[in-house]
Formats: sequence, structure tokens, C-alpha cells
Amino acid sequence: MPSLADFQSRFAQALMSDEQSAPSLRAHAFAVYRNTSARGTVEALRATYATVNQLLGDDGFTQVALEYRHEAPPTGPVVSDYGAGFAGFLARQPWTCELPYLADVARLDWLWLESFLSGNADPSTWRAARDARISLHPAARVAWLTTPALTIWQAHRQPGGFDDLEPEWREEGALFARPGLQVCVHPIERTCRYLLAIAAGSPRVDQCVAAVAEAYPQSNVPELLQQCVAAGALIIH
Amino acid sequence: MNPSAGLSFKPIHFEQAMTCPAEGLWFEVHAENYMVGGGPRLAMLQELRQRFPLSLHGVGLSLASAEEPDRDHLARFRQLIDRFEPFLVSEHLAWSRHGETSFPDLLPFPRTNEALEIIARNIDIAQDMLGRQILIENPSLYLHLEDHEWPESMFLAELVKRTGCGLLIDVNNVFVSASNLGFHPISYLDALPRGVIGEIHLAGHTPDPLLGEALLIDSHDAPISEEVWQLYDWLLALSGRDRPPTLIERDDNIPEFDELLGERERAACMMAGCRQETVDA
Repeated sequence: MPSLADFQSRFAQALMSDEQSAPSLRAHAFAVYRNTSARGTVEALRATYATVNQLLGDDGFTQVALEYRHEAPPTGPVVSDYGAGFAGFLARQPWTCELPYLADVARLDWLWLESFLSGNADPSTWRAARDARISLHPAARVAWLTTPALTIWQAHRQPGGFDDLEPEWREEGALFARPGLQVCVHPIERTCRYLLAIAAGSPRVDQCVAAVAEAYPQSNVPELLQQCVAAGALIIH
Repeated sequence: MNPSAGLSFKPIHFEQAMTCPAEGLWFEVHAENYMVGGGPRLAMLQELRQRFPLSLHGVGLSLASAEEPDRDHLARFRQLIDRFEPFLVSEHLAWSRHGETSFPDLLPFPRTNEALEIIARNIDIAQDMLGRQILIENPSLYLHLEDHEWPESMFLAELVKRTGCGLLIDVNNVFVSASNLGFHPISYLDALPRGVIGEIHLAGHTPDPLLGEALLIDSHDAPISEEVWQLYDWLLALSGRDRPPTLIERDDNIPEFDELLGERERAACMMAGCRQETVDA
């Protein structure tokens, strides 16, 4: 009689195998487990990457998700933890040269989910006290994209929004913030991206302003800071 | 208010749930869906919890793994318990993890003496880290396995004896397993230990698209079948006056809230001792 560990090792291997056994009730019953396991993984990924699913279609997405599962099966039971590496996986697939924005769209789907599920923080209002420090809200996420993926992503998140979509081919920045219970996305420019990167180190407000003003002398940094606080991306302590 | 019959919580039904006046109503959620840092999902559950008793149903502890349960996962589970103070906490007699790989399913194993030792150890670890008793649920089975040394009902009884856990009896799972593996569901229920059932699950199943009734799938996407209602009636009779809280489980093909509430009313009525009536009676 095999030990429990040996039994589970063989069973787990068979679950990940694509080999089809000769048709029989037993083979069919085993297929219930294999299919449930594969479908559960695919659907977890589809729920997270809803915009990628829209771009590839249900069947196309299922195919890609099964390939990803072979490379990176779930390592834990929490559905929303699965798929962190999917954007990188898409970027490595030769066929995505036809859809050069696809991996960036996947990054945005992932960052939206991270923002949606991240920890809470009390909203803060702008104050200019000299000793005040600034930090990123736990739900703030920033992406800098070499494709117009944000325009494409936003268009697909609203009904009918991508019917005549012809985005200008340029770099785009995205900021996800959750000021209340809803995730909002804001297009951002390089200055804002730099400011948020500085803010991630929890500097004093005046240090942050000075650092951004030095790198981008033309910008109105205090105004930008206030906008980021109002958007819920930054917290003033 | 004592919890009587409850419903799986579906966020799309939040508004109706919050205003539902049904006496004894409670809700159950999959713990893993709420193991997140914060945000609207947890806020909604917090609001629901302020109004109703809550049960946390785990799907990922993998208590039947040869390995010990994942301590990090147990810590996340414990955080939820501390925050939401559920009146019930449950998990499955199944495994879903092997090494670094996790399978989103509840997998079978041979019920051997060795498995009994290992699973009792794993339940001890889980109850210790969660700081409370958990209920163990009988799984749906599809596959005949060789090497069983214990019938399932006796295996569950022995786990109760060794670990002090309680049982969650899923009547639909009993029906599906009995049909697929060819045992008698009434004999199964009769062999369960008395006084240790802390919760009952009722759900729908569907025949396999290819094999039909020869292979029933525990799909949770259909109304509860009449056969399952009859088995439930039998289990209630066995339970005497001590009638465990009963959950209407639905995970797919979600109908209107009122349809689920209708099934919930039927269960509540049976718990209260109304005569079991079939739909066409």
C-alpha cells in the first residue's frame, strides 16, 4: 500500500498531465478532478485579467491561461494571489508581437486588483506644515508603460468604449488610487511619476518638493502634491 | 437570535441580504476570498457581519495533505476569525496542496490508518493556531480508490474522537458520493456519530454531460434536488432536538435572491419541525 505522500505525489502529477487515458468510467471520474483543477485555475486568472480576456476572447484566453498554468501553477489557495507573473509571461510569448500592448494591459489589470484589495488608510487633507511627512497610500499603484496601454485598458473597461479606438502610439503613465472604497485610475505625466517614486520613501514634504523641483524645474510641485493627496494616492502625516 | 437556516453570501445580493427580515438568517463565505489587506470586499463583509451571524468556510487548508498545514495560511485565517468572530468555522476532509503546487479543488485520498494519524495531527495544528474548534466536511467523491481501510463516516467519527473537531455534513455530497461510488446514503447517515454535527450543507448537483446519471457532479449550480431534501429530513430526524444550522450553498448560475430565500425557508421550516412536503404535493 503506498503512503499518503506517495499517493498524493502520483495524483498531483496526473492532475497536471495532458495525457488522455482510454475511455472508461474510472478515467472519466478522474477527469472530473483534472478538469475542475484546470478550470479553477483558468477562471481565477480570467477574473483577475478581465481586460486581457476581452482582448483575446474567451477561447484564446483559456488557451493562454492553460499554458501559463503549466509554467506557473498556483502556489496557494487564495484566488486573488494567483497570476502575479502573467504580464511577464505574456511579454515572453512570441505571438504577442502582434499585440505589443497586451503585457502592459495585463500589468494594469493586476495593479487595479492590487489597489482594490490593498490595506486601508484614513484619507488625509493637504497641510503644509514644515515637519509633515508624506507617504504612498497602501492602495496606490503606479505604472509607466511604453505603449498606449492605459488608453486601451480604459476603453475596454467601459461598454462600447473600444469601438473606434485608435490610440496615439506614445508612452503612458497610470496611477491607481482608492480614496474611498472605489479604485480610480488617473493618467499621469513623468513629473507625477517621479513625485510618487520620491514619496514612496516617506520623505518630509519640503524634501519631496525640493527633489521634484530640482528634477523638473518647470513644474508646479506643490500643486501636483495637492492633486495627489486629493486623489487619495498620498497621505500626509 | 439563534442561527437556523443560512445562505452562501453573494456580493450581488448584498442590498437584499441587508434588508432581509427572515428570522434566524445567517451567512457563510469562503474564508480565502477575504484574505486580503482591505478595501470594499472586507468593508462589505464587515457591514454584513454587523447585522448577521457569519460562518467562515475554508477551502484551502488541505488538511488531508501528507504535509502539515501551511502556517502562513493559518495565520491569515486566524486574522479573519479575530476580526469577524464567526459562530462557525469549517474545512474539508480533502487535500489541495502538494509541495509548492496548489490545486483549486478538493481531492480524494485512501482512508488508511496512516491518513487518519496525519489528518488528526493536521486538524490539531489547525485548531491550535485558529484558537477554536473547526467542523470537518465530508467531500463529494467521484473515483473509486483502492486501499481504503475506513468507511468515511467512521473515519470522520474517529477524527472527532481524536481531535475534538465537529462535523459539517453536506447532504448533497453524501448523495453524490453514494450515487457515484454505489453505497447507500441512509446507511452512511445512520453511521455518523450523534451530537457532533455542527452544521449541515444543502446544494444542487448535475449529471455529467457525457455520462449522465452514472456520474453526478457536485456543481453547486442548480436547485437542491428532492432526493437531497429527503435525505436532509432523515438527518434532521437523527439529530433529534439538536438541529444543526443549515446552509443553502450556491456558487454558480446564481439565481435571484428570492429563489435562494425560498430554499432557505424550506430548510428553516423543516428545522422547526414542519412536515416535509415535496414540491408537487
